[in-house]
Amino acid sequence: MNKKKVYPIYFVFGALLLYIVLFVIPSLIGIAYSFTDWSSYSDKLNFVGLDNFKLVFSSDENYMAIIKNTLKFTFITTILKNVLGLVLALLLTKSIKFLNFHRGIMFMPSILSTLIIGMIFKSILDPSGGLLNTFLHSVGLGFLAGKWLVSSELAFGSVMAVDIWRGTGYIMTILIAGILSISTTYYEAASIDGANAYQKFRYITFPLLLPTLATTTVLNIIYGLKVFDMIYALTNGGPGKTTTEVLYTAVFKKFATGQYAVGTALSTVMFLFMVVIGVFMIKIMTKDEVVE
Amino acid sequence: MKIWRKVLTLVLAATMTFLLVACGSKGATEETKGGTTPSATKAPQKQDITLSFMAGQDWIQDAEIELGKKFTEETGIKIDYQIVPSDQYTSLIMTKINTGECTDLFGGQSGKFDIVTQYNIEKNAVDLSGESWAKDVDPLVAAELSVNGKLYGQPMQDVSNVWAVAYNKKIFAELGLSIPKNYAEFKQICDKILAAKKTPIYECVSDGWHHVLWLPEAAVQAEVATPGLFDKLNSNSTTLAQDPTMKLILSQVKEDVDAGYWGDDYMSNTYADSAKNIASGKYVMTLANQGFGAEVNKVDPKFSADDIGYFVIPLADNQTLNVNPSGPSRFIFSGSKNAEAAKKYLAFMASADSLKYMTEKVSKFNKLPYTNAPSKYTDTIKDFYSRYPNQKTVLQTSVKYVNPQWMDIGKNMSALLLGEMKPDEVLAAIDKTRNEQAKAAKDSAWSK
Repeated sequence: MNKKKVYPIYFVFGALLLYIVLFVIPSLIGIAYSFTDWSSYSDKLNFVGLDNFKLVFSSDENYMAIIKNTLKFTFITTILKNVLGLVLALLLTKSIKFLNFHRGIMFMPSILSTLIIGMIFKSILDPSGGLLNTFLHSVGLGFLAGKWLVSSELAFGSVMAVDIWRGTGYIMTILIAGILSISTTYYEAASIDGANAYQKFRYITFPLLLPTLATTTVLNIIYGLKVFDMIYALTNGGPGKTTTEVLYTAVFKKFATGQYAVGTALSTVMFLFMVVIGVFMIKIMTKDEVVE
Repeated sequence: MKIWRKVLTLVLAATMTFLLVACGSKGATEETKGGTTPSATKAPQKQDITLSFMAGQDWIQDAEIELGKKFTEETGIKIDYQIVPSDQYTSLIMTKINTGECTDLFGGQSGKFDIVTQYNIEKNAVDLSGESWAKDVDPLVAAELSVNGKLYGQPMQDVSNVWAVAYNKKIFAELGLSIPKNYAEFKQICDKILAAKKTPIYECVSDGWHHVLWLPEAAVQAEVATPGLFDKLNSNSTTLAQDPTMKLILSQVKEDVDAGYWGDDYMSNTYADSAKNIASGKYVMTLANQGFGAEVNKVDPKFSADDIGYFVIPLADNQTLNVNPSGPSRFIFSGSKNAEAAKKYLAFMASADSLKYMTEKVSKFNKLPYTNAPSKYTDTIKDFYSRYPNQKTVLQTSVKYVNPQWMDIGKNMSALLLGEMKPDEVLAAIDKTRNEQAKAAKDSAWSK
């Protein structure tokens, strides 16, 4: 076999065609619709320029709060999932008893349906009869019991906590794969040189894990910006007006009320966010990439 | 070697083409399967069809599911009930309708204005005027399900009920309380109940719809205080925010919550637990309709249905009975390939036997809105209805563009309870959404 053989360009046409038809064209049509007054109330379509975008960014509406919520959710869950995932990955690459069992337990939440997790946690976090508050009261920590999902102070934190619990195992698994791919010779050499555990982490594991961390960060950011099911199942954007409302739940509600054009405008804003953040992230994280 | 590679490529290409063709033609085969071709009508009586039916929580009763099984036995048509939590139902069903991917049958609130503006019912539902049961539907209720003289839906719940304050008669007697005739008396009652270490009102905000009732149901008082208000709202010559009674109602709701009348857990309580909590004696009153006594009796047989009494919501000193001929109803989606089977299901549900079964089995049903449905009003209920000679139809049925935003009003009202919004802001938000919907619907009263 000639490994250096360059395949002809037409090999890509099939895949490219499917990609264009199924992804690119619908996306462009979606963006185009955001400049119209498309709604379920009328079959006529009129060009309205930037009206929908003016509405999205106007101070009378809550959309800015929703965009802020989405970014806050993305930022906090990305950092915490990565940090906790990294800590767990470091712990679960050591030789400890029942290693795979522990890994399995940590990974478990990721394979459960988000809606089921949402429903279970809705019951666990119920302020009057929920498992968490009942437990806190029974061990004498009643003062810590809170109205987890139904108070404006705690709801957002609770939703993020549940999401972090669900997503950390997945990130951990990717990072474990990353850590295991680092050659043991580096650690042996470092040991001979008298490096301690922290130094090994700081100068070997972390730099060599950066490409993997870049991947998990991008995955987390895309997930965070697109989050829908977790919020939908736990609070549906409440309590109150926009306590936990994020872009996708808002888009969903706009479609539900038949205001398609505003919905597509919001999706377009989200799309731009994702493109900008995505490109920026990949550039930053791969700039000083260490190649083994 | 080369020839094998070629063969493999050909096989793969053929498989791929087959898959693509199969995907493309799937819809077409299904269509012919479900359509009422002559051969389909000649087919044996038992049909192998599964009807999907999506509705909000608390809309499809266990008794209906039982009847559904009987229907399957008789016809072979299976029913797949898809029950969605109330706080998510409206968005979900509207998305399904708007994207043309709705279930064969769907549940929706009736209301002669809203079925047009919200559901665009003439386009999205099947005309049921010609069905055998159509003439049996109570004319007032049928009017809320009709557009241009055509009937589009089938009522599925008792709408003779009104949403009123249901109270535990025993506790009222123990504490020497009597039915309030104005808001001040209502507050005194609540204070006495609080002093007896009980929570006056059971409210469940987490469902998203129940706590809304306080406003549009008590709003009949706004029409009493300002006659013609509802007409003016429909002709876009006034707004809700301009009406002092509406503002008073919301201020009093907030006042009650702040005074602790709703207890601590009102944000997370659920409607499904209402009867249980009233039966426990921990809570004394709740907003419910007249089947509530029977529901409490079902939860705790020591309670007789007559141990629960009713009085109208006394916010803003209201003493008018808040009637509402609209309620959850069944519709057949116009895009359904199984419309004929769905019609059979509706006919089955509207038969005298089914109506009798539903009235017997569902404790909150007293009289379904059909001429051939039995009635089971108790003396307590008759006494309640006769106590309030003045009747008015509630805001959400009398005024356009209120019902479709019910869940949004719920969000705004919970923001009011959390202190994030003020009463006039809540009313202004409702007005704003009314304006948006009216303009989108090209309502002539808004285009002036």
